[in-house]
Amino acid sequence: MLKRTDYLTKTYGKPEGWTLGVYERECHGYQTARRVLSTMKKDDVVNEAKKANIRGRGGAGFPMGVKWSFMRPHPTKPAYLVINADEGEPGTHKDRTIMELNPHSVIEGCMIGCYGIGAHVAYIYVRDELHLSKARLWAAIAEAKAKGYLGARPFGVDYPLDVVVHTGGGAYICGEETSLLNSLEGRRGEPRLKPPFPAQAGAFGCPTTVNNLETIAAVPSAFHMGCEAFSKLSAIHHLNDGGVRLFGVNGHVKNPGVWECAVGLTLRELIYDLGGGVLGDKPLFAIIPGGSSTPVLRADELVHAPDEKSPLHPWHGQSVLDVPLGVDTFRGIGTMLGTCCATVLAEGTCPVAAMHNLMQFYRHESCGQCTPCREGSGWLLRITEKILDGRGTMEELDQLHDIANNIMGNTICAFGEGTAMPALGFLKKFRREFEAYVRGEKKKSTDGRLTVDHHDFVGG
Amino acid sequence: MPTFKLDGREIPFEPGESIIKAAWRQGIEIPHYCWHPGLSAPANCRMCLVEIKPAPNQRPVMLDIVELDRATGEYKPVQKPKLMPACQMPAVEGQEVFSDSSQHVKEARSHVQEFLLLNHPVDCPICDQAGECKLQDYWLEHQGTQKRMRDEPIHKPKGVVFGPTIVYDGERCVMCTRCIRFMEEVAKDPVLEMRERGNLNEIFVAEGRKLDGNYTFMVEHVCPVGALTTQDFRFKARVWFLRSAKSVCQGCATGCNAYLDYDPRYNKAHRYRPRDNEAVNKFWMCDPGMLSYKRAHEGRITEARVGQKSRATKEALAEVKKLLGDVAPEHVAFVLGAQASLEDNWSLLALASKMGSSRLYWTGAPAGASDDILISADKSSNQKGVLALAPNAKPYSVLLDDVRGGVVTHVVALGSATPAAGADDASTLGMLRALVAIAAHDDGALTAIAHVVLPACSWAEAPGTYVNKDGLRQLSDKALEPIGASKPGWEQVAAVAKQLGHDLGIKRVKEIRAAWLGTEAAAHASPAEQ
Repeated sequence: MLKRTDYLTKTYGKPEGWTLGVYERECHGYQTARRVLSTMKKDDVVNEAKKANIRGRGGAGFPMGVKWSFMRPHPTKPAYLVINADEGEPGTHKDRTIMELNPHSVIEGCMIGCYGIGAHVAYIYVRDELHLSKARLWAAIAEAKAKGYLGARPFGVDYPLDVVVHTGGGAYICGEETSLLNSLEGRRGEPRLKPPFPAQAGAFGCPTTVNNLETIAAVPSAFHMGCEAFSKLSAIHHLNDGGVRLFGVNGHVKNPGVWECAVGLTLRELIYDLGGGVLGDKPLFAIIPGGSSTPVLRADELVHAPDEKSPLHPWHGQSVLDVPLGVDTFRGIGTMLGTCCATVLAEGTCPVAAMHNLMQFYRHESCGQCTPCREGSGWLLRITEKILDGRGTMEELDQLHDIANNIMGNTICAFGEGTAMPALGFLKKFRREFEAYVRGEKKKSTDGRLTVDHHDFVGG
Repeated sequence: MPTFKLDGREIPFEPGESIIKAAWRQGIEIPHYCWHPGLSAPANCRMCLVEIKPAPNQRPVMLDIVELDRATGEYKPVQKPKLMPACQMPAVEGQEVFSDSSQHVKEARSHVQEFLLLNHPVDCPICDQAGECKLQDYWLEHQGTQKRMRDEPIHKPKGVVFGPTIVYDGERCVMCTRCIRFMEEVAKDPVLEMRERGNLNEIFVAEGRKLDGNYTFMVEHVCPVGALTTQDFRFKARVWFLRSAKSVCQGCATGCNAYLDYDPRYNKAHRYRPRDNEAVNKFWMCDPGMLSYKRAHEGRITEARVGQKSRATKEALAEVKKLLGDVAPEHVAFVLGAQASLEDNWSLLALASKMGSSRLYWTGAPAGASDDILISADKSSNQKGVLALAPNAKPYSVLLDDVRGGVVTHVVALGSATPAAGADDASTLGMLRALVAIAAHDDGALTAIAHVVLPACSWAEAPGTYVNKDGLRQLSDKALEPIGASKPGWEQVAAVAKQLGHDLGIKRVKEIRAAWLGTEAAAHASPAEQ
């Protein structure tokens, strides 16, 4: 169900929309933080947050309020809020817009979040390449400090608050929360073993909550309207997937971009109504629903949920394009919602080249700490590359799923799954195309682009 | 003690202990590269993955993977349980853990093993680790198949000199980080780190530094593969030709337990390796200690000397009789050796007693540097033992006083080295009418000035008991055959006794131990002896 909203994006496109003045005028700026800090108790903040049913926007979809509730005061150590703005998943481009166009919502969200989990400092870990994002956040922090919103006594309340922007170390793996914490501490960005989870021992060994940037940016709106009411904006509120979020679409669409909608939007609406349809009016071929790690969907896939108890049953027999984009609904159809930024592949796209592109990325970004991912990601790339180059054998094609199977679940962090899942996804759904390459029936395009066979996308 | 079940067998554990460590204590090895009982557990090699049966109130974590139906060429979805690293997971009372008995574990292990060898050069024929390499052992046990990747492997830096002792080969490295963790956690000198990413990862030495200090050999020792080799051992020997003797390091009073690896074909010692002993050195040794195996060959006295000229032992013994035969016992001093075994010292004491002398002194190596990891300032391996055997023995400085005072005119000494010598020590010793030294090494004033020197076996050639600084009595086994004319120190003492008309009543080392310990010997067996 397409329902556009502007809780997070009201300042988008407004002149100087990223400044405090506009934020205060258009978005009740900082009134919610003032109310929360002045009138609410810490535990009430967490309980209220749970009602918002905000599923983590970074990809895993963990409920934000539940995560906050894991924080227990430590007898000697401070607590920290860490915001993950290391947005680097291929095909994901939503957090950047918030940082650039509505940075104050992030600051205000941090204030409420800090108060809720008992922290006084929030670190925003921003991907280093996002220079404008950093500049806008720094400026917003300076404005909030000048007004006294951040500082020793925000709104006259004896609860010191500070927000610090930390520039990232330049690796995709630093977007993994424990890797991010290592990087924040000045260590090599490698994932940590869990347990202990960050809520027990996170940044600098202290209890820490790591939230995605979009997650925290939604907090002021949710608390402003009441978290339950916020959750009910979603069409799948009953599936504990509440509120509004940013939906992105990229790839072979006419109008790639990011929109804010109530949760419940379908892929079809995202691609055709918001994205303007497939480039060159070609038939839709496949969709990577939420960042490169999420298994690809074929355009012609149908939902199979004959069990009436299944939450997906209402969509049984329908196209996957008509399933609302939700954490559990997309898990149900064998993929993941991820970051909710879909990559569209039009008819004529070569799935072998597409998988090769992804495998290059994962091989390049594997931190190399643990064996299956370090060696497996490189091996997957080697074979995919050989197949694409017409040098692959059937034996090698049959090794791909075996390699991915044995990366899956055997690694320290979810990067392993993030590599294996898209590989298995492409294999499962496009095995015939891979075979065609091996048999020499299909050849790589020589123009060096991801898409092959058709040249009419150029300038489309 | 609480227990858990590993492949159906009850394993006791101490609360908080990991599955792999509890199993290790029971002598069960869950295969691993990165885990080391003396270091933190990074769980990065993924070789120790095990299947843990979920608690009754827990749902099993299942992962979606695929299987290829060869008949149809279609993939079909299947599931596998999430495996956990045994080095990371704490043992839990009553928990059921499946290692060798789980098909999923076997599958994961064989693949981890294949992954590790994927870009490995497999240059075993020229690798010093061959024969004691985890990659080889586990390939046999857990993989046993050919490498499926037929392409050129990744190339990385080779022959990188890390410092005066260690050379690194990036292609053989499995990135287990044991060396990094050893330097950080044990040597307290975090000079190693990893750089690059993914399968280009390599270990490197911090900018502006070398891998140096007193604990560099240990990075080679903890390396489970041939990535780190020592300048000292590389290209010298193939380990399958070597035999190992349970030895005790003679470098200082710590008494680190070690294996002395030697080539029996050439009667040559090639290296030391630490031998685990929680009570002494845990898993480690220092560099000077690791290199001290060389004293099995270097600086040795291999023939008897009379007046500093080589002579047959028989002639030297005749000279001893001439020098000591008619001397009043109150003028004969017996100098025990803090670097010699209890057995040797006991026999010298027995001789003193037979001759009716109570003039007992002791000597040992000069004190040296120490640290708070392993190295003791006391550079003698058996001072505690000597003083336990002869609590009234006086220090070497008193001996010199007594020589100057004319009280002592004749000396029978075990060993050569003397503690921090003064300038006139040599002239003092020169006043002696007779100095008979029984020693393995020519490294001090006593043998340099002795009228008669009798060659003793080094610690490597004779079993011996040594008491370390903490009073722990440890047995060091014989590795090499006696070199040259050397004989165990106690045998030389017994020969001297015989010349002087005394019978010490010992023909075998066992008899010495029986004499001094009685039944106590068995009860006091140190971990080294067990």
